[in-house]
Amino acid sequence: MKKNSFKLVELALYYIVIFFILREWLIPIMELTKTGFIGLILLFVAISLLLSLFRIHFIISWVVKIAYITWFITFIYGGVFFFSTEGMYFIIDDLQVNFAALLQGDWLGITNPFRTFLFFILIWMLVYLIHHWITVRMSIFYFLILTVFFIATLDTFTQYDGSFAIVKVMLLGLLITSLLFLKRLVIQSNSKINLIKYTKLMAPVVVLIGVISIIAVLLPKSPPQWPDPIPFIQSATGQGEGIEGEGNGISKVGYGENDSRLGGSFVADDTVVFLVESETKQYWRVETKDIYTSKGWEQSNYFDGELLNFAPDETIRHSLPVGPEENTNMATVQVLYPYNFIIQPYGMKSVDIDVPNFDNQTVELMMERNTEKMQVLVNRGVVQLNEFTVQYSKPVYLYSELQNPTEQIDASITERYLQLPETLPDRVRELAAEIVEGRETPYDQARAIELYFRQSGFRYDTEDVAVPSEEQDYVDQFLFETKVGYCDNFSTAMVVLLRSVGIPARWVKGFAGGDVVDNNGSMSTYEITNNHAHSWVEAYIPNVGWVNFEPTIGFNSTRSIDFDIETDVEQQDELVAEEETEPTEVIEEEREEQQQSASQGNTWFTNVKEMFEQIKLFVIALIVLLIVGAVLLYKWRGKWWPKVYVKLQRQKKIDESTFESFYLNLLKLLEMKGFKRKEGQTLEAYAKDVDMYYETYHMTNITKAYEQFIYAKNSTNIDFDKMRESWEYLINRTTS
Amino acid sequence: MHGQVEAIIENIEKVMIGKREVAELSIVALLSGGHVLLEDVPGVGKTMMVKALAKSVSADFKRIQFTPDLLPSDVIGVSIYNPKSLQFEFRPGPIMGNIILADEINRTSPKTQSALLESMEEASVTIDGETLQIKRPFFVMATQNPIEYEGTYPLPEAQLDRFLMKIQMGYPTAQEEVEVLRRTVNSEPIAHLNPVITLEELLALQEEVRNVFVEDSVKSYIVQLARATRNVSEIYLGVSPRASVALMKASQAYAKIQGRDYVKPDDVQYLAPYVFGHRIILKPEARYEGVTTEGIIHRIVEKSVIPIQRYAER
Repeated sequence: MKKNSFKLVELALYYIVIFFILREWLIPIMELTKTGFIGLILLFVAISLLLSLFRIHFIISWVVKIAYITWFITFIYGGVFFFSTEGMYFIIDDLQVNFAALLQGDWLGITNPFRTFLFFILIWMLVYLIHHWITVRMSIFYFLILTVFFIATLDTFTQYDGSFAIVKVMLLGLLITSLLFLKRLVIQSNSKINLIKYTKLMAPVVVLIGVISIIAVLLPKSPPQWPDPIPFIQSATGQGEGIEGEGNGISKVGYGENDSRLGGSFVADDTVVFLVESETKQYWRVETKDIYTSKGWEQSNYFDGELLNFAPDETIRHSLPVGPEENTNMATVQVLYPYNFIIQPYGMKSVDIDVPNFDNQTVELMMERNTEKMQVLVNRGVVQLNEFTVQYSKPVYLYSELQNPTEQIDASITERYLQLPETLPDRVRELAAEIVEGRETPYDQARAIELYFRQSGFRYDTEDVAVPSEEQDYVDQFLFETKVGYCDNFSTAMVVLLRSVGIPARWVKGFAGGDVVDNNGSMSTYEITNNHAHSWVEAYIPNVGWVNFEPTIGFNSTRSIDFDIETDVEQQDELVAEEETEPTEVIEEEREEQQQSASQGNTWFTNVKEMFEQIKLFVIALIVLLIVGAVLLYKWRGKWWPKVYVKLQRQKKIDESTFESFYLNLLKLLEMKGFKRKEGQTLEAYAKDVDMYYETYHMTNITKAYEQFIYAKNSTNIDFDKMRESWEYLINRTTS
Repeated sequence: MHGQVEAIIENIEKVMIGKREVAELSIVALLSGGHVLLEDVPGVGKTMMVKALAKSVSADFKRIQFTPDLLPSDVIGVSIYNPKSLQFEFRPGPIMGNIILADEINRTSPKTQSALLESMEEASVTIDGETLQIKRPFFVMATQNPIEYEGTYPLPEAQLDRFLMKIQMGYPTAQEEVEVLRRTVNSEPIAHLNPVITLEELLALQEEVRNVFVEDSVKSYIVQLARATRNVSEIYLGVSPRASVALMKASQAYAKIQGRDYVKPDDVQYLAPYVFGHRIILKPEARYEGVTTEGIIHRIVEKSVIPIQRYAER
């Protein structure tokens, strides 16, 4: 009993040290992947270690761990408890999405909860491995080496500062290696040990480690001998030229939250995210942003984080005009992607959610007033919907009102939507003034800016899109230097130009109308993929309010204008030609491009390629690890291969047909053990060497039979049972 | 070990101390129908060896002492006119025995040497247009002294090829030499040697040896070794296919006396220096550098590839 408790204390000591080493692993991962909840993840590590410390039956241990993981995922991502219906639904939905993604090879489509799940599994495996190293192999050296490499690599190649972590790991590593060494010593010497003896043995080691670390801290240190490798690697691989800042690299198209750094190329992703059934085709808003930072968009907190809550079916108040009652339409939206916001058509009136499992629970629609982003709350937690219905009436702008700038714009709007960064180069303002020259009304001015891009040599492209450097302005770069870009470039540039001439404007994110996949009477089904993620512009026109504009080449405006005043016939024709009253049709060229990219996106190859681009470093590290692993496995094959081989062979029978392979494999096995047979050495001579070493006669026995088997005319008198005996004996000797 | 062979060896060992290996090799040659050239300095027991072997077999033993004036007819026999029958009668020479000791073969003239060697190869003699078969078994053990050059006629390489093996006797160890002295202090042990195997038994044994199985992979191995001697830079002339045949036959005999009815590469490796050694001609420069045929064969054997898998075309 006493002995057992001592062992437990000993093991607990190891585990405590291991826990802190693992913590050094997790902290940089968390920091770099911007993952929160490190405390909860460390708790998982602690639980895993405790479970293996007390040798809890594996079924219980599994149940506990899986329960913890599911609780974590449902709580963190779903905001619900697992042991509730929503929790169950959340998990099941998530699993469905991820299995679909995995089957399609869409690695990037894997949701965060699933990634977290895999991460937990990784930790679980790691803990198990460490347990094995400590209790069975009693050596943790390779793990430590790996840890040091890991931290050193991260310290070198990322912003993570590992200077203190590496010291901690070294100290803990020295401690645990000496602890384990002591344990091995005790086992080898076969002596009994108690706590007092143990302490006596450990004390000098601990003192030594302490002294070493103090000396190491106090000693003067020379600066790095080698230059920082990163600039060198970048210049060698041709990266970092012209493209600087964090936003470089290729991202995948889709709806993202962070727009603070725009620019860079992206690749197509034709994952279907929404299926919309409606009579009209329209743009779908998600949110707006108001502060331009010269690199991208941020959101001000003008309304102090105010949330507007609506019941389903209640009329929703928002900043946009709504069309006449008689034009009210309905659109049903199916959500096929784990987006948890509501996409809003122009002229939205109300949203209806009809999901049976939310019965008897408080279902609310919440609009974040700063961005006008809408989400659905169930019991005050954000949920992801499968389907919702929107009532909307598309606003129709009277041409006469658009052209009638009598209204004084409210200060709350000018204050917020005329913001421009101080660093904005003057030539942008000058260009804006130039474009609107001769246009009287704000609407005409906005139209001029909207059309400017189509007439001035701009090109739509998703590749080769630059990222502004530290000193550069995103819009300035696009307008004057590159003239190549996609919706973000065009829309941001237009907002900036509008603001430069004093027209309040904001940046809108959402989805374009999508492709028709089915027609049913007046209703059409539109398929919206991640490729349709889009951004455009809303400008505040006096008397009318917010009007949407579409500066991006290849996309057409969706405004409805009622030309209610007499204009010059010629001018009206021009206007009609310009102002598509029908829902947008992507122009031919653009459509081709989209199709092309979609078909590319279809192929597994592109998926893998783009995934590789994203995780290049990781893949390279993995390949290096795999190679190192393979080399080590090969180097140590003498240790593990015999065991595997014997397990495989034990089930086979030795007879006429298998004798040869048995014998030849035995030779290989012996060779791994260091009995190298030269090609010119006869089997008999070799067998004698082996037998001499093992002080036996079995190798000679089996060799004699084998020689008869291969050199003699008949080998019918070989006693294979005896061969088995000799074989077993040799195997046991070589593998023990 | 084969019983009858063991008996012969034990018999020889009564006379020859510490020469079991030489005895064994001599028996290998005897059983495979080849001839042996014993080479060493005088007095180490070459003649004694042959005598002991001959006495162990109840065979017709003849001894020819080669001298510079020995004529071919002294070896193979001569036709003499018989005045009584008014006819030439053939008087067979000493070659017409079962076991022949050709002592100091390099002391006689090339003419006589080739008469002997021809009859060794053909196992027959031709006199006056008449061919006479020599009775079986026919086994020649020749001895030669390598250190005397004055008045000797070294055997040409082509002639050496007719010997299955060339064996060096070597000095006995101190201990063995003491034993030799003890045994010969008051008696001549060779006088008390009795045959342990009859001629018929010997012939039957020879027949058995011919039936020892040689797997094709082992045959390839023999050829591999033979061919290797032809590609060594220090060697002027490698071994002939006759040498390969000789090595195989010797291996069969060796396998038999080991009590096996199949040949192993071990047998081949063991016999290769004895069978190939005298058939290889070293380049003069190699000889001056102290390279020996034995060393080269040892190297070839070490570098060879032993067949360790069952021959595929079984």
